[in-house]
Amino acid sequence: MRIDIEDLRVAYSGRTVVAGARLIAAEGEITGLVGPNGSGKSTLLRTVYRHVKPSAGRVLLAGQDIGRMAPAESARHVAALPQERGADFELTVREVVVMGRTPYKRAFAGEDAGDRDIVARALADVGMADQAGRRFTALSGGERQRVLLARAFAQDPDVLVLDEPTNHLDVRHQVELLALLRAQRRTTLVSLHDLNAAAAVCDRLHVLHAGSVIASGPPREVLTPDLMAEAFGVRAAVVDHPLTGDPLIAFDHRTPAGADNSAVPSGSPAH
Amino acid sequence: MTSLLERRAVPTPARGLRAGSLAVVLGVALLAALTAAVAWGSTSIPPGEVWGVVWRRLSGEAPRPGTNDLIVWQLRFPRALLAALVGAGLGLIGTAMQALVRNPLADPYFLGISNGASLGAVAAIVLGLGTGGALGLGLSGAAFAGALATFALVWAVARRRGGFAPLRLVLAGVAIGQFLSGFTSYLVLQAGDEQQTHSVLFWLMGSLSGANWPLLAAPAVAVPVTALWLQARARGLNALVMGDETAAGLGVDPARLRRELFTLTSLLTGVLVAVSGAIAFVALMVPHACRLVIGGDHRRLLPVSALFGALLLVVVDLVCRTAMDTQELPVGVVTSLIGAPALLYLLDRRLGADS
Repeated sequence: MRIDIEDLRVAYSGRTVVAGARLIAAEGEITGLVGPNGSGKSTLLRTVYRHVKPSAGRVLLAGQDIGRMAPAESARHVAALPQERGADFELTVREVVVMGRTPYKRAFAGEDAGDRDIVARALADVGMADQAGRRFTALSGGERQRVLLARAFAQDPDVLVLDEPTNHLDVRHQVELLALLRAQRRTTLVSLHDLNAAAAVCDRLHVLHAGSVIASGPPREVLTPDLMAEAFGVRAAVVDHPLTGDPLIAFDHRTPAGADNSAVPSGSPAH
Repeated sequence: MTSLLERRAVPTPARGLRAGSLAVVLGVALLAALTAAVAWGSTSIPPGEVWGVVWRRLSGEAPRPGTNDLIVWQLRFPRALLAALVGAGLGLIGTAMQALVRNPLADPYFLGISNGASLGAVAAIVLGLGTGGALGLGLSGAAFAGALATFALVWAVARRRGGFAPLRLVLAGVAIGQFLSGFTSYLVLQAGDEQQTHSVLFWLMGSLSGANWPLLAAPAVAVPVTALWLQARARGLNALVMGDETAAGLGVDPARLRRELFTLTSLLTGVLVAVSGAIAFVALMVPHACRLVIGGDHRRLLPVSALFGALLLVVVDLVCRTAMDTQELPVGVVTSLIGAPALLYLLDRRLGADS
């Protein structure tokens, strides 16, 4: 299923966080949201998993306005991996993953064989099947993210929404998590802080700046030195990754923003 | 990585099975405790006769003449049932409240409701509204009114700026609760005579000594209704403790669930404080202890907490009634005295297992 975000606007107590954003997450693709802190990435994602109501505009799921669907109905199609970590309530890994079945269950209903099956598969997909009985809060950061991803898989969604899933993970766990994302063929909308990770895993990128989408397209077209200066206020060169051939953004960590942007070469030196 | 996993892997506890057998054990223990609570006292009654009296009363047979029938049916049985209902209710309130504010150490005192109920009751005693016994119905009415008024006040403060975030709710509740308990202290000092002060203090510490059949009516309705309502939303509670965004992503509206939980637990707190005073530690400790044994899944935690709370309070009230020859202990004194060390022991054991 594809997601269309149409002229989305979100304002909290008078402050506009998302100012008329438009974007598409195409079916089966990984769509990345990048942008500096406070550019509205998380808020935009929250409207898709319905934690935040848009002030104006719509989020369409396969052409249907998600705001008009029952919460459980949209949760059967869209699963979220937010940034929150949860309090220590003695839940096991398996109990956390079982939560993914919530939108399918009526009050008082227990798990049936189908639920148990899908939970077992989700745990196996993230490599946590042998950890099902452990306490969730005793896990390391990387393990936790994998369990939360398994919970999202257990929701059997058409669309995955992930907010900075690689935050606080070391490089190895970042690579593992992104590989898991690539391995499944669901429509995925993910915000990423790390532009090089975004360039490596996303089919398309949307760059947010001050609540608006200022650039959209395949990573190689979007991530240019000019855009680095405009959206992030840094000098950078874009080269080809020597191992993968993906675009690799090499930041200039010595020169502060706006020092002399005219010196930034336009276009990748590799081309 | 493999070695890391191996080192930290622990045997998988079959928590579902464990919760099921624990529930059966608690249920049997509760029946035994109820029997003991009716049988034991200044006049001992054989356990067989306890259920004989109850059976004759329930089946409509004419009661046998004698004081045993009176003691069982009019005094001890309603009191034991009240202890079970209040204990079960406190277990449920604690479980719900801890999920509501996403803090495994929350209790009804967190949101100020029981302070409001206490103020209502103390005002009734000191101003002479609670005519009749120390726990007459006028007193219960005043306590419930106090709980409702506090609920409205905390609600009004917490909802401003679209709130109902856990922290905001707790801050509003604690601030208003302290404000109200200041009033209560003032009223206690204003109490006219020693008898009044005594009944106020006894009530503030919690007591089941006022039990009678009419007093059972409100908790007998409120506790089962709350239990069913919470059980129906057990999955929602699980989602809520993971966070509001997680809940929303699972199709659970966190703000709405929290509003409903706050309303329900406040009403039940009002009912319970109205019939038994402010009993400390049960709502805090019971769910926490149960969670350490069977885990945090609310589908199991709610019924087990209710059963354990009921069992605990029946036993504690029995102790309060029979420990001293000359007078009764307030039940809240004993719950605090055993609750605090028990909690420390459980926490210590768990922290030890983690390291």
